[in-house]
Amino acid sequence: MKRLLLSFILSFGLISIAFSQGKVISGKVTSGISGPIPGVSVFVKGSPSTGTQTDATGIYKLSVPDDAKTIVFSFIGYKTKEVSITGSTINANLEEENTTLSDVVVVGYGTQIKKDITGSVASVKSKDLENLPVTSFEQALQGKAAGVSISSQNGKLGQGITVRVRGASSVTAGSEPLYIVDGIPITSADLSSTSSPTSALADINTNDIESIEVLKDAAASAIYGARASNGVVLITTKQGKVGKTLIQFNALGGVSTPSNHRDFLNAEQYVQILRRAGDGAANQDFLNGDYPTLAAAKADYAASVEARLTRYSAGNTDYQTYKVNTNWEKAAFQNDPITQQYDLSLNGGNEKTKFYIGGQALDQQGIIVGNSYKRYSGRLNLTNKVTDFLEVGVNLNFSNSINNRLSNDNAFSSPLQAVALSPITPFIDPRSGLVSGTLPGAASNYPVYYNPFIGIENAFYKATVYRTLGKAFANVNIAKGFKFSSDFSIDNLNQNEESYYGSLTFKNTGTANGDGQNISTFVINTNTNNFFSYNKTIGKSAFDVILGTSYQKSTTKYSTIEGQDFPSDAYVKLGSAATKVTASSNESAFSFLSYFFRANYKYNDRYLASFSVRADGSSRFGANHKYGYFPAGSLGWIVSEEDFLKTNETISLLKFRVSYGLTGNAEIGNFSARGLFSGTGAYGGSAGQIPIRIANPDLTWEKTKQLDIGLDFGLLKNRITGVFDFYQKNTTELLLDVPVPQTTGFSTKTQNLGALKNTGFELGINSENLVGAFKWSTAITAAINNNKITNLGGQILNGNEINAAISNQPIGVFYLPEYAGVNPANGDAIYYLNTTDASGNIDRSTTNDINKAQRIFAGNPNPKYTFGLNNSFSYKNFDLTIFLQGVQGNKIFNAGGQYMSASASNGYDNQTVDQMDYWNKPGDVTVTPEPRLFYANGVGNSTRYLSDGSYIRLKTLTLGYNFPTSILTKIKLSKLRLFATAQNLATITGYKGWDPEVNADYQSTNINQGVDFYSAPQPRVISFGINVGL
Amino acid sequence: MKKTYIYNLIFASMLLASASSCKKALDINPVDTIEQSKALQTSKDVEVALVGSYSALGSRNFYGGRPFLMADFLANTDAIEWYGTYEELTQTINKSLLKTNSFVDNVWADGYTAINDANNVIASISKVDAAKKNKVEGEAKFIRGSAYFDLVRLFGKAYNDGSPTTNLGVPIILTPTTAVTDASYVSRANIAAVYTQAIADLTDAEAKLPATNGFFATKYSAAGMLARLYLQMGNYSAAANAASRVIASGNYTLTPAFIDAFPVMGSSPGSNTTEDVFSIQVRTLTGFNGYNEFYGSSTYGGRGDAVIAQDWIDNTYSTTDDRINAFYDDGDMFTSKFANPYGNVSIIRLAEMYLIRAECNARLAPAAPIGGQTPLQDLAVVRSRAGLTTTTATLANILNERKLELAFEGFALHDAKRTQTNIGSLPWNSNALVFPIPQREMDANKALVQNPGYN
Repeated sequence: MKRLLLSFILSFGLISIAFSQGKVISGKVTSGISGPIPGVSVFVKGSPSTGTQTDATGIYKLSVPDDAKTIVFSFIGYKTKEVSITGSTINANLEEENTTLSDVVVVGYGTQIKKDITGSVASVKSKDLENLPVTSFEQALQGKAAGVSISSQNGKLGQGITVRVRGASSVTAGSEPLYIVDGIPITSADLSSTSSPTSALADINTNDIESIEVLKDAAASAIYGARASNGVVLITTKQGKVGKTLIQFNALGGVSTPSNHRDFLNAEQYVQILRRAGDGAANQDFLNGDYPTLAAAKADYAASVEARLTRYSAGNTDYQTYKVNTNWEKAAFQNDPITQQYDLSLNGGNEKTKFYIGGQALDQQGIIVGNSYKRYSGRLNLTNKVTDFLEVGVNLNFSNSINNRLSNDNAFSSPLQAVALSPITPFIDPRSGLVSGTLPGAASNYPVYYNPFIGIENAFYKATVYRTLGKAFANVNIAKGFKFSSDFSIDNLNQNEESYYGSLTFKNTGTANGDGQNISTFVINTNTNNFFSYNKTIGKSAFDVILGTSYQKSTTKYSTIEGQDFPSDAYVKLGSAATKVTASSNESAFSFLSYFFRANYKYNDRYLASFSVRADGSSRFGANHKYGYFPAGSLGWIVSEEDFLKTNETISLLKFRVSYGLTGNAEIGNFSARGLFSGTGAYGGSAGQIPIRIANPDLTWEKTKQLDIGLDFGLLKNRITGVFDFYQKNTTELLLDVPVPQTTGFSTKTQNLGALKNTGFELGINSENLVGAFKWSTAITAAINNNKITNLGGQILNGNEINAAISNQPIGVFYLPEYAGVNPANGDAIYYLNTTDASGNIDRSTTNDINKAQRIFAGNPNPKYTFGLNNSFSYKNFDLTIFLQGVQGNKIFNAGGQYMSASASNGYDNQTVDQMDYWNKPGDVTVTPEPRLFYANGVGNSTRYLSDGSYIRLKTLTLGYNFPTSILTKIKLSKLRLFATAQNLATITGYKGWDPEVNADYQSTNINQGVDFYSAPQPRVISFGINVGL
Repeated sequence: MKKTYIYNLIFASMLLASASSCKKALDINPVDTIEQSKALQTSKDVEVALVGSYSALGSRNFYGGRPFLMADFLANTDAIEWYGTYEELTQTINKSLLKTNSFVDNVWADGYTAINDANNVIASISKVDAAKKNKVEGEAKFIRGSAYFDLVRLFGKAYNDGSPTTNLGVPIILTPTTAVTDASYVSRANIAAVYTQAIADLTDAEAKLPATNGFFATKYSAAGMLARLYLQMGNYSAAANAASRVIASGNYTLTPAFIDAFPVMGSSPGSNTTEDVFSIQVRTLTGFNGYNEFYGSSTYGGRGDAVIAQDWIDNTYSTTDDRINAFYDDGDMFTSKFANPYGNVSIIRLAEMYLIRAECNARLAPAAPIGGQTPLQDLAVVRSRAGLTTTTATLANILNERKLELAFEGFALHDAKRTQTNIGSLPWNSNALVFPIPQREMDANKALVQNPGYN
């Protein structure tokens, strides 16, 4: 394949045309700091096509016509230099360019000079994304774009990542941004067949990305109309550059460990608390009158508890001497899982043809046993100037990923659920010599739960994805400044999820002879963009206009089969299954037809105005509401261009911007507007149909009106630059799955109801603190977001009984009874009543009946403050990057608390160590109730399990060494860099669980956030890498 | 420059072409599902909707077994030992249900889903071929009437607890939902009204249904449900008469051995037994045995969470009672009644009919026993199958026999209530023995009033 691609490129290269030349000029191009610069374009002014490039040592040789007057040196990152031709040797010393403000930024359907932008766009370049041991690029983006909040659900590889641009702008419709790769909307939906999402974005190689732009306000994003309310993420992949072909090889290898461990009871503590729980329960039974004497009750319970302990101690009395002390928590983590990543890229071209070829092999082992992720990807980006008015090209990306997945966080087979097993239970059952709980052998009610380690050896769940993302495009220069662009793309995603649970996993699957599943998902997403662009400068006025259309259609086909009863575990394919228990196929599709227009106007380099509008039609909405119109306007004033500031030494840039516009959200089911019957009502072998959805022909877009006021500044010749934004996003006509009375036969109806608001501030600062030999630069991103649901039509959405969506509260607010601790007199868990009487007084007395306690708004799962702080240092050939990232103002609910921190009142689960502080006798003051076996004392959802979720994390620490040019010249390399990088090295948090960056995978929705349920922590990855440039 | 104009023309026409096809471009229809307006056009459409109603009725959260299991949990004192982790069932067995108990919510939701599905069939009955019309309507009404009966006895106070005409039952909805409107927010009808509706549906069903109908509801399924309902109301003559109609039909016989009345232990799909008057069908691909989920040991497809206390078994059954053998040891003791994840869920067994008739005749002591058989004779039928002889048939004997014969089949709570028998230290009419109206439903429908004890 590679060879084919190469010959393809070579044939393009041959199209170059030879020129007749006059004299020869040679010389060396250097830079004050970096020494010789390879790859600099050198050409005669006015005819760039006659140019050449410097070699690895910065030397060039150029034939020029006799009448040539000036020679031009140009290289990205440096100021272009023009030198008059005198003599045959011309050396040039290029000045590094502080490009921050003259950067070109990718916007919808084009690019713009950053200085001229009137919208709010966060831009992150490749250097901040590359060479990190991450699976998906969002992880590399975390904390680097102000107002873009990114959070992994857990530490499993390739799994869901929550991205919110300026807060959640929907309650039950999608809240993830629209992802556009090189101009095309890609398939980004979760395609996992389980309720735990996987990231379709993980198919993209982070090292192929040149830049990521996040369009945040309406002015920037409204060009994407009906799908822009959640923000738009534009991903631009690396393009070929004119010059000598640069070959780069990167390798990175590392070891992962969990960012944190959680402590559970040891054997002695476990036995102690359970015996105490038996006594506690006996006392309750006695008080209920179930026993004539307390002693009788205790004796009964003691017999039962000892019998259970014997059982969980593999049927012996070892537990009495605490002989076995298994650390199940530690066992859930792999020993030294390895991460490896190899990249090879070629980048080059001439004035006619440019190419970028990138390939990557990624092999990551997860911190949790049984979890690994592999990805192989390749990319070809190619452009060719066919004639002076026609440019054509292709972007082609293919990838293959293999994810050895784990069970959902809430499954007994999820390895971290092993923490529920008793420390007195040996890992290997001495009676069978097999992993405890493995059938046959000991009784199936041993250990307490299904032992997930049985599944590690006897089950697999593998998701394989083949993805091809291809785009062909043409740009036609119709007249000066007038261009037509056309592209057609196909994003084809094939996923196969295959699993087999062997006969030994019986206790988990309930099937004695194996259970296999095979699930295929096929997504074909086609898109075409066709648009005209025109720009013209008349005197002091400059115009820039686009007008075009796009059409997207995406079809998803899905089939699933499940079989049981295999001849033996040697057979894992479904042909061998005697019984097929599931056989199903589905298909669904949506389309968008859109027209868009944008005009930018600039007067005298200082007054800016922009207007855009998009008309979007979608198949998802009813006949009367198929089309929506999304206009946005913005104004900008570059004050620093005015005469009174132009000469100011301190202020190099001062720009005000304001924008206002309308965007939409269409992320609902493809057929949510319709009343539907499904043929899935089969019964006893007869076909049946059932109503499954209630109609709403009036369903239309969710609308967000956004105001943005921004300020861009640069100080001290732009050594310090900054962006400050205030925004207010008002979302109305929410696409809401409104609970309807279930007496209708339905539980929800998708309708436009309610409103919510996000307001916030964002700050981004880049500062070159020290320049010269020792360099120090700082980048700060910080954002505040206040989310509030302003109207929900009186509904309370509280599906998980933990988080709620309710008027006047932030989305997902924790809505729980308030825990008041323990009654010192009797050890009862108590709760504040918090009921309000007629005169509005709140009753703060307590009750031991959680049903009587009024729920309170106990905190916000979404952080109020998000921030990132990057410090980069370099001295001579060393560089050091320290990147801190954090969130503040959010809370986390440990939904596993009712089992793991239940003072042994909810069964034989092992407990967190803090539970040893239980109430033991009258007068004890503690927050941990009396242990009462199966009496569920204090285990109901309440603020008992809620804690602060703020954290600051040393996200990345990188130390690198660049070999100096003197050595590079000798070994004929253009670059050689060694580096060490650590991810998630340290975390400061008040959260007592594994990791504060958490939201249990199986239950994550817009509302259900900040919930921990045996969720794996983030990995701490220590890795070493090398970059080699030829 | 000429070339430029040619390109210009080409692309402009391309743009036009893409724009002109726009109507079709947005016209995407579901292929997995059909629009509700097209769903109920023909006789066959309505007949398959009826099958769909059975599948809704048979949900694990409804006649698949869970509400029966939960009722037994609420009535449990010393028979069931709960080792499960489902907090919802821990609350149930502790008789401290929370308003937010999702199992309770599921019972409510799935009960009403079955009712709405049946309402769809009933509302479209005119589409059904004349020859099948009565049968289809009868089946739909059997489903609806049964669902109302079970909802009202779980979510309302007992019929014999205070005044059924003032105590709140459940909302009555008799038309299918095609759109959610103001009329969809229905308040709770009183208990008597819900019983009246269930009686009307089941009586009409009995009149219209055929005597045999495969595994679907028959005339006698409706009569059997009526017998159970009348017994719950304390209308003993109506109950005895209805039970008698089932027995007299001759369509059902007790299985020779007690254990044969239940699905064969294992995991192969079962079929109805000769004494199933009505049962929910479970297959590998459809249906779910909600009893097996918790009562079955893991060897037999369940979670093994609900263990039967050995003491209870020993104290309840005499050693000569064959029913003592309907338990198996898989580390703990489990009931053999539900030891098959693909076994059908028996809803009405013939044995229950004998016990109903016996009880009613014993209570009424009429000159001539209803159905022509004395309580002693009816009781002996049930007991002799278990290998026992029968000498007396007092009310206490019969009620005890119900406990022996029907254990874990969802009778304990409702029997305790109608016989006003306290459960442990809880009075028979305790608020804790009535399901709360689900909090989710209270939030969604302001017209509802919560049950006492849950505010």
